[in-house]
Amino acid sequence: MFSQASHNSRLTPVEPVAGSTELLARLSELIEDLSPDRVDLLKAFHRIQHEFGYVPREAVPLLAGKFRTTPAIIFGTIDFYSELRMAPAAETTVDWCSGPACLLKGSLNIRRALEATFECEMNRTSADGRFGLRLVQCDGTCHLAPLVRHHGRYIGPLTVSESIEWARRLTGDDRRAPPEDGARPAADEASPELAEPVEAE
Amino acid sequence: MTLPRYEEMWHRADDAWARAARPARTLIKVGVATCSRVVGAEETLSALRREVEARGLDADFMVTGCLGLCYVEPLVEVVRPNAPGVLYQSVTADKVASLLEAVAAGGIAREYALAVIGDRESGGLPALNSLEFVLGQVRRLMANCGVTDPENIDHYVARGGYEGLVRALQMKPVNVIDEVKKSGLWGRGGAAFSTGLKWEFLYNAKRQPKYLICNADEGDPGSFVNRNLMESDPQLLVEGMVIAGYATDAQQGYIYIRDEYPLPVERMELAVQQARERGLVGENILGSNFSFELEVVRGAGSYVCGDETGLLSSLEDRRGMPKIKPPFPAQAGVFAMPSNINNVESYTNVPLIMRHGADWWAEMGSEKHKGTKMFSLSGQVQRVGIVEVPLGTSTSDVVMRMGGGPPEGRKLKAVQPGGPLSGVIPASDVDIPLEPDPYRERGVLMGSGGLVILDDTNCIVDLCIYFEWFAEDESCGRCTTCFAGTRRMLEILRRISSGRGRLADLELIKLLGSIAQNANCFHGQGAPTAVMSMFRFFEDELLEHVERKRCPAKVCRGLVRYEVVHYSDRLPAAEAICPTDAVVRDNGKYRIDQLKCIKCDACREQVPYAIAVVDEFQPAAPTVTR
Repeated sequence: MFSQASHNSRLTPVEPVAGSTELLARLSELIEDLSPDRVDLLKAFHRIQHEFGYVPREAVPLLAGKFRTTPAIIFGTIDFYSELRMAPAAETTVDWCSGPACLLKGSLNIRRALEATFECEMNRTSADGRFGLRLVQCDGTCHLAPLVRHHGRYIGPLTVSESIEWARRLTGDDRRAPPEDGARPAADEASPELAEPVEAE
Repeated sequence: MTLPRYEEMWHRADDAWARAARPARTLIKVGVATCSRVVGAEETLSALRREVEARGLDADFMVTGCLGLCYVEPLVEVVRPNAPGVLYQSVTADKVASLLEAVAAGGIAREYALAVIGDRESGGLPALNSLEFVLGQVRRLMANCGVTDPENIDHYVARGGYEGLVRALQMKPVNVIDEVKKSGLWGRGGAAFSTGLKWEFLYNAKRQPKYLICNADEGDPGSFVNRNLMESDPQLLVEGMVIAGYATDAQQGYIYIRDEYPLPVERMELAVQQARERGLVGENILGSNFSFELEVVRGAGSYVCGDETGLLSSLEDRRGMPKIKPPFPAQAGVFAMPSNINNVESYTNVPLIMRHGADWWAEMGSEKHKGTKMFSLSGQVQRVGIVEVPLGTSTSDVVMRMGGGPPEGRKLKAVQPGGPLSGVIPASDVDIPLEPDPYRERGVLMGSGGLVILDDTNCIVDLCIYFEWFAEDESCGRCTTCFAGTRRMLEILRRISSGRGRLADLELIKLLGSIAQNANCFHGQGAPTAVMSMFRFFEDELLEHVERKRCPAKVCRGLVRYEVVHYSDRLPAAEAICPTDAVVRDNGKYRIDQLKCIKCDACREQVPYAIAVVDEFQPAAPTVTR
């Protein structure tokens, strides 16, 4: 069978250089039965990502050798697909659905609230590395819109307040501590009814 | 042609189906598909099993696919011997005990009951086919969805499955193609090109091997019709592809499923394996000389792989960048060999055409467009789900009656018919028939069938920003008009929504829209469609943004501000919920710190009476300045 990848077969693939022997052995084992002449590269990515949670850098030269192509092309392919990652995800990663049904029901508000609560931008990890937000595409579970996913569990339909409370529980912040600058005198705290009515326009 | 092996299979299948269709004791059917799994159908199923065992009830279980009623999942159907099945809605695991309580007593659990299966009401419950969501639907492709066990090939075979293949194998390939051409079936993926003609191109191609590819990369956000077909009736697709392979003289088929659909991948793989075990896929199918191999390929998350040539690149183990046409896939497709690519829905229509004949198939539909089409409903509708209607059915019938229209008290604003590249039609045009022509007249594409509904709380500029962001994000990067054009377009739209729009921007957008037509593939060409629809149907709203710096729906973040406008005892709740400490209290009075506010709406949700969204240009509330 003709394979596009064999165009580059005359190029000598870069030898695997980095990585522990165990890791390389495991990677080779995972892709052992795959062949460049079949539609197998995506299968290789999926197997590796299933095992490690991401595609380790060390896999790139190995795959290039296996599929008779260059590391650059393998890297470019990984980079192209949004579901493939080259770094491990944060311990707690929240998937935020970007689909139109969620959008129309206010998912952008939820996004802003989550970004603020986790102190983490979309597709980034928080400074302490504990939380991550990931943008995902619509998979048609629009009856739950707007929704987020957390470890394969779908949570929706969410209001902004619910999403904040949920995120605070994840961060271990049940009720936010009052600001420390003394802006809130104790007496005021005890009797919120002291707050004067605000004149309407 | 004698097919003894098939006869045996037929009998075995009939027996298997009889047990499900006419059960000797109570049969509990639980729909397990993506839409119900996410609301806990699997937990429901295991709770039911536990509870049935604990109570010592005499009952069997069966897993089915999805009926399309996503809004009431998880659905449980209880079938008693010689009685129509009763459908229970939203049965989460916590409701199982009280449901079975009533069922064990021989009655109906009224509080959860939705309908009885069939056309006639019974026991005070409405018939399923008389529900507003179902009435008017013609379920041909979905005949087995939610009825049979998708993981049991016998159920499919017993309900007429593979009859179409038997009939096709007795015909010459050209005659099969003629039959498909006669039916008038066109590609359901969005391009609406004649399927029979496409097959003829491949049939006429000289080189071997030929490839048959199923585009199941249903990337359009808000569409989920293909997903339902693959996870509720996977054998229909297998049969369709085998028939297509026979008609076009191809020996290898690939089903390319997007990575976001794990359950369809699982069920399609199982379906192919079961078909192979029964000699319906593989060498010498049903004892004929025809051999056909089928493989399921899982994508890795890319929208342009839903473009047919992008999909080809992805199959060739490379970045899924669309190729330049010509050569067309029928001449040089995957691995530079002749190929044919069709959508899931196109292939799944073929077994029906071959089983019942092109004339039967073409009975449904409008004068020009034959057959039925599945649509998914999402966004601002009361009933989210999947419907199958004859082509030419009025859009409002589907959106307003079946879908129930927008939530109470809101007005329909627009409908996006199929995918981010398809554009939008305004509410005033919602009566047009669901077929390609009326949409094309309005500069909109009917697309693949993912109807997304907007109501008056949604902003058209906001939606266009989403579409342009999507087009930019998913651009493969080949054509400058696409990857740079969408980026410029996005910048301009974001500028407008942030309140810095200028009149010159409008001309700039139109220019970018016309330049985009020079892109290679449809992704680039279609990217500005929604923006062009906005110019055509919602120009007033756009001008309001640009000239008056006002967002009528109060959505665009740069044009609105949150203010405390009344006093309420619940204002401390708003203070507590705010993720950025923007609700502040000075001398006992509440105000919103505009520098901290991220406009997430949480405070207004808590105290809708006291906090309001006001136009950015309005003067600050008096209490704030004081």
